[in-house]
Amino acid sequence: MSEATPQQGSDSVLNLGVDLGTSRSSVSASNGVRQAVESYVGWPLDMVARKVLRRDVLVGREALDNRLMLDLHRPLERGLIKEGSDKDIHAVRELLKHLVSLALAGADRDIMTVQAVVGVPAEALRVNKQQLRSALKGIVDSLMIVSEPFAVAYALESLVNSLIIDIGAGTADFCVMHGRYPLEEDQRTLPIAGDHVDEQLHRLITSKYPDAKISLHMAREWKEKHSFMGEPTEKVWVVAPVQGRPTEFDATEPMRAACESLLPSVKETMLDLISRVQPEYQDRVRNNVILSGGSGLIRGFGMALQQGLEDVGGGRVRVVADPLHVGADGGLALAMDAPPSEWDKLAA
Amino acid sequence: MARQDRIKRRMVRQLVRDNLETLEGAHPRRRGRRLRTVLTVARVLLLVALPAALFTSTYVLSTVAAEWRDDVWQDDAHNPTFSTRAPISFSEMEPLPPIEPNRSMATPQPIDPSVLPLALHTVVLDPGHGGENEGTISPTGLIEKEITLDIGQRVRSLLESYSYKVVMTRQRDEDFSLKQRAELANKARGDIFVSIHVNWIENREVRGVETFFLGATEDPYLEALAARENQNSGYSLADFRDILEQVYAGVRQEESRQLAGAMQQALYDSLRAVNSTVRDRGVKSAPFGVLTHTEMPAILAEVSCVSNDVEARLLMTPIYRQYLAEAIVEGIQIYARSLGQANHLEG
Repeated sequence: MSEATPQQGSDSVLNLGVDLGTSRSSVSASNGVRQAVESYVGWPLDMVARKVLRRDVLVGREALDNRLMLDLHRPLERGLIKEGSDKDIHAVRELLKHLVSLALAGADRDIMTVQAVVGVPAEALRVNKQQLRSALKGIVDSLMIVSEPFAVAYALESLVNSLIIDIGAGTADFCVMHGRYPLEEDQRTLPIAGDHVDEQLHRLITSKYPDAKISLHMAREWKEKHSFMGEPTEKVWVVAPVQGRPTEFDATEPMRAACESLLPSVKETMLDLISRVQPEYQDRVRNNVILSGGSGLIRGFGMALQQGLEDVGGGRVRVVADPLHVGADGGLALAMDAPPSEWDKLAA
Repeated sequence: MARQDRIKRRMVRQLVRDNLETLEGAHPRRRGRRLRTVLTVARVLLLVALPAALFTSTYVLSTVAAEWRDDVWQDDAHNPTFSTRAPISFSEMEPLPPIEPNRSMATPQPIDPSVLPLALHTVVLDPGHGGENEGTISPTGLIEKEITLDIGQRVRSLLESYSYKVVMTRQRDEDFSLKQRAELANKARGDIFVSIHVNWIENREVRGVETFFLGATEDPYLEALAARENQNSGYSLADFRDILEQVYAGVRQEESRQLAGAMQQALYDSLRAVNSTVRDRGVKSAPFGVLTHTEMPAILAEVSCVSNDVEARLLMTPIYRQYLAEAIVEGIQIYARSLGQANHLEG
């Protein structure tokens, strides 16, 4: 079976683009399947939990909802496999297996070969990529690992004179596109992203309302509903228990402060990367800044970055409407565009 | 549009190259073209300059050394400190003390068997069928010889990461007789022999896994299965007597039964996690030709039923084949642990 040479566009080949995110992972498949799951994997804690759940492993929302009965893992940290834990490597395998099975479930024909392009943070080290490649061995037939912001640029066909800012949960990835495959100096990764906002929000609300019992999961859910930068359009009200009684709190200011904590480092990196572009092209790049990733959806983020560009002559920031799938879509486009002869060299 | 396509083609090529470099462990690219050109010129200049520098330095050094040597030899003629020392005679040396006999060696003690635990080093994997002997074929076109080879290769890769030595009876689409496979296993001094097959059952609703060790059977289903798997045995009529003797003499039967039990347990437990309706069809004995002449614990695992539509569809996916491979490795690990051995993933 593995000896068969897959043909591009052949009925038996399934191409996948995969965005393994710290918080959410998504898959786009050549058979039209587009799915996203929370990047959580859990194993029942004991025999009782196994009997109740009737499963040996749970992935995604199901794992999150049953987390009290599970040995729950969020195996990716800053977009990469957590170091030093076999269980996390196992969890990443389960996560990818799950994503591939979701894609295969939509197959209306016999799939003999699965080829996948998987996104990683822009500045992922070669050793990180090797670790990921090794962890994913055998799950797909051929594998390519790609810088996540490059995959976003490829999906949007914004390949020349653009700056991609992809802010997820674990990392903020930057990539200047010059019409070539990005080199190390074209890319930057900051370890400050959505998770940092959650931690800030948790800290700020807890310090403002010390009696309230708040978990990081609650802070994350509030952020996903109410995040914003700049002037609030309405008050942000959240509910948390105080001595067991559900109580409503005004979280407007903590929310704003937590979200805006991302701004200084993101703005500074954006301006620094633009300043390194050859002078005659800087204007074009400034006017072609693309904000992607789940944290890119924070209301007012794009506008705040655009205001930051005013200091260097102005520019334009566009926000990707569907950041959850754009990385996976780019991976899929790359997978489809790679000729079979190239795929042959990249057996997983 | 054509320019955009050109850019995309170039980027895909560069992406593939980057991935190949990752596979090879090369350093990431980071220099610009101009800097690379400067460095290339510098390297060429260095290559030209280095031999010249070496030649010059060798010439200068040899001239200086010759002059120095002449000076030394001239001095040596007048300076007694340069005279060679007389060799030490044996009579000047103190005799070594005589060797005392080791008292613990004088009376040999019986060796505790636990000091020498049996270990499993070499695993012979036998992907069933091959070449013109295709094995069973599913209605969807899955061919047993291709499935078994794919799973075998996955098992090999996993076992090697656990530091086992692995010998494959075939590594491509080749047709070897059962006798040739057994001979290869014996020659390789394998510690265990695992033959991988997929099953075909007339009742196409039936699905599951079953593992066999060598023995007699009166079950007509098993007789038919053995007859099917024994095609192209390579055994002559004269071999038949030996085969029968081995079947009934119970040679290696207990070890093989234990290995089959471990394999069946691992296959069923692992596959149930991903295929909830898989059935445990148990450990059985049957007269499979490939198990008769192997001089080590030997089993034959029917890891799936291609006659069943659900399992045939699962077998088409690399994930399921990987699960099967991992389950087979787990079976081997269970058996190895029963021997007191623990193999761990290589760091």
